Amino acid sequence: MSLKNEEAEVVIKVKRYTQEKGFYWQEYKLKVDRFTQFTEALRRIKSEQDPTLAYRASCHMAVCGSCGMKINGEPKLACKTLVLDVIKKYGSNVITIEPMDYFKPVKDLVVDLDDFYNRMHKVKPRLYPSNEVLEGKAEHRLKPEDQKVLWKFAQCIWCGLCVSACPAVQEDPEFLGPAAHAKGFRFLADPRDTITEERLKILIDSAWRCTYCYMCYNVCPRDIEPVTAIKKTRAFSRLAKDKTEVIKTGEKHTEAVHSSIFDSGKIMGSRVYLSTYGLLGSMKEMIFLMQSGKLKYALVKEKAVENIQEVRKLLRG
Amino acid sequence: MEKLSYDAVIIGAGLAGLMAAHEISKAGYSAAVISKVFPTRSHSAAAEGGIAAYVNGNSDPNDSPDYMAYDTIKGGDYLVDQDAAELLAYKSGEIVELLEKWGALFNRQPDGRIALRYFGGQTYPRTRFVGDKTGMALLHTLYERTSGSGKVDFYFEWFAWELIRDESRVRGVVAFDMRNMIPFFFKAKAVVIAAGGMGMLYRHTTNSYIGTGDGYAMALRARVALKDPEFVQFHPTALYPSDILISEAARGEGAVLKNAKGERFMTRYAPKKLDLAPRDIVSRAIITEIKEGRGFPGGYVGLDISHLGEEYIKERLALAYEAAKTFSGVDATKELIPIRPAHHYYMGGIDVDITGKNPDVIGLFAAGEAACVSVHGANRLGSNSLLETLVFGRETGNEVVKFLQSFTEPSSDIDKEAEKAEQSAYDIVKKESGVHFGDILEKLRDYMWEFVGIYRDENGLKNAVSEILKLREQMKNMYVLDKSKVYNTEFYNALELKNMIDLGLVIASTALNRKESRGAHYRTDYPKRDDQNWLKHTIAYLSGNTVEITYKPVKMTKWKPEERVY
Ligand SMILES: Cc1cc2nc3c(=O)[nH]c(=O)nc-3n(C[C@H](O)[C@H](O)[C@H](O)COP(=O)(O)OP(=O)(O)OC[C@H]3O[C@@H](n4cnc5c(N)ncnc54)[C@H](O)[C@@H]3O)c2cc1C
Ligand code: SF4
Ligand code: SF4
Ligand code: FES
Repeated sequence: MSLKNEEAEVVIKVKRYTQEKGFYWQEYKLKVDRFTQFTEALRRIKSEQDPTLAYRASCHMAVCGSCGMKINGEPKLACKTLVLDVIKKYGSNVITIEPMDYFKPVKDLVVDLDDFYNRMHKVKPRLYPSNEVLEGKAEHRLKPEDQKVLWKFAQCIWCGLCVSACPAVQEDPEFLGPAAHAKGFRFLADPRDTITEERLKILIDSAWRCTYCYMCYNVCPRDIEPVTAIKKTRAFSRLAKDKTEVIKTGEKHTEAVHSSIFDSGKIMGSRVYLSTYGLLGSMKEMIFLMQSGKLKYALVKEKAVENIQEVRKLLRG
Repeated sequence: MEKLSYDAVIIGAGLAGLMAAHEISKAGYSAAVISKVFPTRSHSAAAEGGIAAYVNGNSDPNDSPDYMAYDTIKGGDYLVDQDAAELLAYKSGEIVELLEKWGALFNRQPDGRIALRYFGGQTYPRTRFVGDKTGMALLHTLYERTSGSGKVDFYFEWFAWELIRDESRVRGVVAFDMRNMIPFFFKAKAVVIAAGGMGMLYRHTTNSYIGTGDGYAMALRARVALKDPEFVQFHPTALYPSDILISEAARGEGAVLKNAKGERFMTRYAPKKLDLAPRDIVSRAIITEIKEGRGFPGGYVGLDISHLGEEYIKERLALAYEAAKTFSGVDATKELIPIRPAHHYYMGGIDVDITGKNPDVIGLFAAGEAACVSVHGANRLGSNSLLETLVFGRETGNEVVKFLQSFTEPSSDIDKEAEKAEQSAYDIVKKESGVHFGDILEKLRDYMWEFVGIYRDENGLKNAVSEILKLREQMKNMYVLDKSKVYNTEFYNALELKNMIDLGLVIASTALNRKESRGAHYRTDYPKRDDQNWLKHTIAYLSGNTVEITYKPVKMTKWKPEERVY
């Protein structure tokens, strides 16, 4: 075994920001090898070239969530991204780095995450076990398969990338955003939790405000699939008391789209979703929010797909 | 200077700090937690393999807390305080069950009970885990719990710079709000230092960028002693070349170390325990293989997990698989993972007893990696550190509560001291030109790695001491280019460097003084353990350029030192 190493000269263009100067671009040249992470590139820029550059980084192994930023326009963790990979992908040695979208800039690549933290705290992100368990009179036994499902959604590292990329967050102040929904679902689905009703009140209305654009799914560095959490949360709709208009409209549209797929096997126009993720797997609950004014993807009936019986079987099952 | 007032101020929002804060606030006292980063970004998040615990009714039937204490003591090469090791072992089950109740998603056995795996130096398997992101899982659980009570005030992205003390007791902390550079005096009756480790002192480390040893240096400047500062742990399996940790869990699950000839070389170094020998032994074995020409070009050996099967690897060693793939371009289900040793953990720390109390200053406490209780002695066993943060974080919190219950207000005014501390921060970087922190920092990291690393000797250590003293002198000409008041990370990096140099000096000096080999402290010129002269804790103070060294006995209860063979 010997590792293949390659080297390259790279020009990193950083979109910088100060309160006084606003945004401006600055270029740094440096040599990187096959193994250089963007956090390491930034660390070297800071200690060898320009100590005034501000950015966040801590673990350099994609578990602390500090280093979210845009690299060549893509929302990424800097530590989880290798410089050489980006050069290859884009066929260019010039790379841009920008702060995450949506959040207020503080300085250079550092953005203000208070809004993000508020969202996370709104969903009461902690288990409320029964008193018997807390007092040691009863014991939790979590099934391995439940542990697996919950752990998937519990792995959010609060990096904020999904929120920075989410169109619904930008348009709808009532929407909690993808990460908070992943977190909220992790506790909603925990069989040991005791405040389900309160959680439903917090989560259900918001869950119907997501546009199912799948940006959060695409950008999440921990493969949390916040949109899947939202989808699964909507399935709890039935249990919600005091349904809001948004919930009712959402449920109605689910029905409508369900029957559209049932007839034709397709939802047209939802290209992002269809092309990326395939139709059949989990179509049943995968419906967009179609509140008036937010109807981003129209339903177009077309010729029925050939294996329509298969689709129907899936929908019934 | 702006002022705030709390019953207790906790420096650090890792597992140790949060646990202490939880206990203090639960008892009704006001607590502030100060952290350089948002709590979940603390270094604890990076811990992978697990947390050791003897859980009643859910452990190997032959195991017992006494075995656990014994393993810990032997692993630590008998420099462990045995009362501390017993406390750690006896409270371990309880603490894991507590975190479980709070929602930590431990991996399960088929019957729903918490699963367990082997870690190095354990007689019976007792490490509990959440995949290989145990630290992240526990830290999030604890942060979410602590932030929910509304009784703890979090000051995150605040930089704690100086302890304020009078003749006998601690009076608070001076810290900067990193967003706008405004200094605050946090007045407090009690202060808990839980500021974590110091990996950035070393060229190669598995630690986070924020591990710069601030807590140790803050203590040293406040005339507080560090205990056993020469004991620095190197982890055998850091990914080449990025130094990202490949958890010991890999070897616990059956991974095998191989040299370039394909030999399972641990048969030579630890015939009984093989790849699961403690870290100091495996680290030295790897370096020896590389030095004697049996490593791969570039200087590394291979870790083989391929025989465990893809599904198992992706469930239990997800991070190891992902890291090898992302950062070294290796598919661990088929190929060897390239690894070499790197700095990992600091056994030394602020001198405290088993309640977290420091003997030098009244009202000062420490917990977690920042403290030396000492449960790790000369070498920490894997998965004992997460346990320590929680067990002793809680003990410390409880002791702070007791302290607060009998607290009487001092009458003397201390505000002047706080102003001096603020000035001392600016003094470090008041120059308009001179040397920049990057130049000094990179040299420091190289000296520490070269001369105060896995193998040490008199010449190297002397060299290190004199070079570090030179860097300390050069620091007087350090300047900061960034003059802005908003998120000026350069300024804080400069303060961190000051902390690192102070600590580096103490480590190198005490390592020079200890003329024996014990655990992670390996002197090629004194390769044997010497209980006659050196079975004692080092106690070190820093005064100007002088490191003042005294000693203190190791607490023994049941276990007599014996030769350490694996
Ligand atoms: C990669 C890796 C994997 C590990 N895996 C394991 C494992 O599997 N099992 C195990 O038992 N141990 C493991 N360890 C060790 C363990 O993770 C740490 O020892 C432990 O998490 C330390 O926790 P702590 O609470 O003491 O400090 P940390 O979690 O390091 O927290 C330190 C806190 O102090 C704050 N701080 C520091 N300086 C300042 C300052 N100047 N001002 C304000 N705040 C400050 C930081 O912001 C942070 O909040 C691992 C370590 C590493 C490096
Ligand atoms: S799928 Fe929903 S939550 Fe995810 S980014 Fe799109 S709108 Fe936001
Ligand atoms: S869900 Fe994913 S992208 Fe969003 S904050 Fe959590 S880890 Fe980051
Ligand atoms: S530095 Fe921790 S996620 Fe990138």
